[in-house]
Amino acid sequence: MFDRDTEGVRIELRSLTKHYPGQPAPAVDDVTLDIPAGELVVLVGPSGCGKTTTMKMINRLVEPSSGEIRIGGQDVLGLNPDQLRRHIGYAIQQVGLFPHQTVAQNIGLVPKLLGWSADRINARVEELLSLVSLEPSLFRDRYPRQLSGGQQQRVGVARALAADPPVMLMDEPFGATDPITREHLQNEFARLQKQLRKTIIFVTHDFEEAIKLGDRIAILRERSHIAQYDTPAAILAAPADDYVAGFIGQDGTLKRLALLSVADVTPALPPDTRLPQVSADASLREALDLMLSHGTDKCSSPTGVLTYASLCEAVGAPAEAVVSGDR
Amino acid sequence: MSFGEYVVSRWDTLSLAAAEHAMVVAIAMAVATAVGVLIGLLFYDSPRARGGAIAASAAVLTVPSLALLTLLIPITGLGWGSTLVALTAYAFLPIIRNTVTGLRGLDAATVEAGRGMGLSRTRVLLQVQLPLAWPLILTGVRVSAQMLIGIAAIAAFVDGPGLGTQIFEGLSRLGSVNSLNATLAGTLGIVVVAILFDLFFFAVSRLTTPRGLRVRS
Repeated sequence: MFDRDTEGVRIELRSLTKHYPGQPAPAVDDVTLDIPAGELVVLVGPSGCGKTTTMKMINRLVEPSSGEIRIGGQDVLGLNPDQLRRHIGYAIQQVGLFPHQTVAQNIGLVPKLLGWSADRINARVEELLSLVSLEPSLFRDRYPRQLSGGQQQRVGVARALAADPPVMLMDEPFGATDPITREHLQNEFARLQKQLRKTIIFVTHDFEEAIKLGDRIAILRERSHIAQYDTPAAILAAPADDYVAGFIGQDGTLKRLALLSVADVTPALPPDTRLPQVSADASLREALDLMLSHGTDKCSSPTGVLTYASLCEAVGAPAEAVVSGDR
Repeated sequence: MSFGEYVVSRWDTLSLAAAEHAMVVAIAMAVATAVGVLIGLLFYDSPRARGGAIAASAAVLTVPSLALLTLLIPITGLGWGSTLVALTAYAFLPIIRNTVTGLRGLDAATVEAGRGMGLSRTRVLLQVQLPLAWPLILTGVRVSAQMLIGIAAIAAFVDGPGLGTQIFEGLSRLGSVNSLNATLAGTLGIVVVAILFDLFFFAVSRLTTPRGLRVRS
């Protein structure tokens, strides 16, 4: 199959359509999308826009009515669906851990189906639990009912990663947790993906989450029509239309600042210890927040002094215009 | 003759009758459980098929046991044959109903996750849905067993095995020396058999309910 390599492979969707019998309009209508190898692409859109249906066609939990799906160049529709799914990681919002099996059994399920030896499965379970920050000796023999919501979601992600698939499908995998846990899981997952470079299709209705995690974002309208497909920075800088602008909301520029870090900006002056200090890996949004709270237009980081004008430049706004008050 | 003396003097007859009573119920339950759970597994997902199965097993239950046993005599004769057929038929409703309810009542996400990981439909059914529905199925089996132990007493009417013979004997010789003792012995014997069955099911339920379903968070 396409997973001789455990690093991501390219996914191509061609004119993918799902028309449920007895419904006037297709649920997913003629979607064409290229997902580059090793990237995390977020499908974002309102409830009922067909984003989940689009995703489920890739592992054929939903059979497409027409169109083509290729993973690593291989035509997915010609494969046995159960075999196919064992090579695609799958994580969903409700997690769906098997309550009658231990954490280790849940994670080891797909490797077992693929015929791995017991030793190899054990080693893999330990590795994955550590990877999702759950102490293996404490958690491997617990049952899902003995875990908190956040812990269950971690096990869900570990289970999706179990057989080291090159492709993962994730449907709001952090959706059912409280905001603090969710933010924590998102950060951890972003770090994990930097390391793993899987090709991931991630479905959410939360645009903030999309910006935070996505290498690219596909903003979908009803029937899964693609309104804009680009990097988060490009979408924030130039929304294709009012629909996309509506998703971004009123603070698109602030969101762009959040995507850039202090280290991305060439400092105007060498570090100055008398100014408010910001760390080098902080976002420009945090730097701006610091300036506003100190009532200054400068702050300093280990890389050098950052000015309000340099922030404006970073988001492509001519600093002179700001200074002369034209905006 | 006091009741105690009666029991001691008829111990052989009584204990044999009790053993037969338990045996006939056990055989009928084994058949009904195997077939009933299978029907549940095959039909739970189709509204028409599961509706039909439940309606049919409920219809059987409305036929009075005396009438059903009588109707069976031309086909399966007197004794064990008719008793077993009738008891098995009466056992289906709670088993099929609880199997269907148990399989349908599962969290849809669990099934979806299983399918999404590449478990075939049959594997999901047998490795995920069945173990999770098992406690409820077992409850149905337990209800059926208690019901059959009572109904089995009527089997004496068609010369069937069990403690019913004692009760009928008492009834037919009403007013004679031991009529009350015989009826009492039959009734208490049935209560004892019922208690033993329930203890058995309690043990089975403890041993076969997956640990993950019993743990508390």
